[in-house]
Amino acid sequence: MTRAPSRVAGTRGIPFSASPVLQVQLPAWRSRIVLFLLFAAFATLIGRALFLQGMSTDFLQKQGASRYARTLELPATRGKIVDRNGHVLASSVPVKAIWAIPDDVLQAAPEKLRRLAALLDMSERDLRKKLDSDRSFVYLKRQVEHETADRIIKLGIEGIQTRKEYKRFYPEGEVMAHVVGFTNVEDAGQDGMELAAQKTLAGVTGSRRVIKDRLGHIVEDIEAIREPHDGRDLALSIDSKIQYIAFSHLKEAVEKYKAKAGGVVVLDVKTGEVLALANLPTYNPNNRAALTGAQLRNRVLTDTFEPGSTLKPFTVALGLETQRVTPSTTFQTAPGRMTIGTATIGDSHAHGLLTVAQIIQKSSNIGTAKIALEMPPREMWELFTNIGFGQQPKVGFPGAVAGRVRPYKSWRPIEQATMSYGHGISVSLLQLARAYMIFARDGEMIPVTFHKSTDAPITQRIISAKTAREMRGMLETVVGPEGTASKAQVPGYRVGGKTGTAYKIVGGKYVRQYVGSFVGFAPASDPRIIIAVMIDEPASGQSYYGGTVAAPVFAAVAANALRALNVAPDTSVTNIIMPANPVQESM
Amino acid sequence: MSARLPLMLAVALVLCALALVNAQYQARQLFIDLERAHSSARQLEIEWAQLQLDQSTLGKHARIEASAMRDLNMVSLTAARTQYLTAGAK
Repeated sequence: MTRAPSRVAGTRGIPFSASPVLQVQLPAWRSRIVLFLLFAAFATLIGRALFLQGMSTDFLQKQGASRYARTLELPATRGKIVDRNGHVLASSVPVKAIWAIPDDVLQAAPEKLRRLAALLDMSERDLRKKLDSDRSFVYLKRQVEHETADRIIKLGIEGIQTRKEYKRFYPEGEVMAHVVGFTNVEDAGQDGMELAAQKTLAGVTGSRRVIKDRLGHIVEDIEAIREPHDGRDLALSIDSKIQYIAFSHLKEAVEKYKAKAGGVVVLDVKTGEVLALANLPTYNPNNRAALTGAQLRNRVLTDTFEPGSTLKPFTVALGLETQRVTPSTTFQTAPGRMTIGTATIGDSHAHGLLTVAQIIQKSSNIGTAKIALEMPPREMWELFTNIGFGQQPKVGFPGAVAGRVRPYKSWRPIEQATMSYGHGISVSLLQLARAYMIFARDGEMIPVTFHKSTDAPITQRIISAKTAREMRGMLETVVGPEGTASKAQVPGYRVGGKTGTAYKIVGGKYVRQYVGSFVGFAPASDPRIIIAVMIDEPASGQSYYGGTVAAPVFAAVAANALRALNVAPDTSVTNIIMPANPVQESM
Repeated sequence: MSARLPLMLAVALVLCALALVNAQYQARQLFIDLERAHSSARQLEIEWAQLQLDQSTLGKHARIEASAMRDLNMVSLTAARTQYLTAGAK
């Protein structure tokens, strides 16, 4: 490796290469090795750079982002449930869940732990038991209100954290419990409309990705925000005023007659909306610590019972519709007993010769059975099916039952006779109330709904308007002084309805326990509401007849509900005649 | 002329850079304001829900009836004491 003596050092003219130091000859391979090593080092760097940029770039980008970018959860609020007038029935309010990292918390001073236990409303021992865990995440208490949560944070215990969550409040409490239902601790619907409308009530949580600075302030969005969608509010058909009226009068009656349970439902005849639905026993949805199955049951929808005489008007209406009888056709009901096949049915009193109208008024089993036996089973079965018996009502409410109507091919004459006055068939109170639509709406049937609706309902004609009007007239006489439900009279309004008293079935046998019921409409001149009342096992010993236990509830609810709905009276207010010994119906 | 051009471009570049810094700063300030407004909107919404709830709780029919009877000595309405005013009637 020699160089040309091209360069000259200084002005003296001594060539660089003339320096004796440079005269030393190094072996050529040494410089080659250096050159090679340098080249190898560069190649390694380039290779590494390629590897970082090309192969593991995603991983590195992610690592970088995790140092400044945060994903924030944007919570969505569950929709409110309101009544038809916008009165709030259920609403979610943000609260805090308190959770702990047990190892850290146990380092805290005992004094602080004692104060924490007091704020959490639990004993110190329970608190320590919760903290004595191998896990690194333990909920201490959920659904803590903001004020308490703030005070807990102020204690400054290491390892105590909070998490935002929602708590559902039910201002109407036990009055509305069965309609509205409730949610669990995760804000998901568990019962009632909360469960039925879970999909629309629950919101969709959103998220956004942001850059945060050292102090935790959001500096910038780095991705498009996924907006949270709050749950939609749900407007029920319930009128909280009428609901309260229904509930308080039902409660009065259940307490007075020491009944096991009771239910009442109020329907709007014009729209098919459920204006009120109350059950007893009930529960407070805000505090469900000691909840039993009996309290939880929405009896109006999920319990079926043998309705008894409240079914008679349908048998008679079918007779009128098919022109087998007229209101003035007479039937001999004496001597108050009648044998069909091997079984005997009877009336509680022998009534003698009765017209069809009187059969309804006095609630004669024999009269109704005689009308029924003139008709083929199929026609009766078709009517029962058309008015919704044996069919699950399409109300969009969890647990609504279908009841039971046996196929007509298997009906024996005795069964057809008992079914005509409401035994051997089971219905829910809501089905029964809805069935009375055919009388209240001049022969038309409409679906019932729990949602506030403004559209005209879809109607289905079942019987002619003429038959419906004739039945309305007869049902009005039931409430008169000669009928079985004189206590259902309402001052100022003409009303009509039918009592029912039926034995209960326990273990497949009839027992001496009763269900007293009353279904009626008001005002009779142009029905606006249908009210059905059911009192289960009245036990006071005074009376168990529907006309005594259920009819007064109907009268009280009708009077107040009509006033609340601004319905003008259709008769004078002083027309009430209460007989000393009201007629008692047959069972 | 040709000597000044780079100088002018350099000045323009510096001005642009400063403007960019300023714009970025403004944007962050506005963003913080927006965030603050969002969170106060959320807070107000929560408060509104709470107030609605309070209104329902305090306006409960059971509570109104109880205080009307206890504190104001009111009694339930009966039809006998009601006068109906019907439009068109004499």
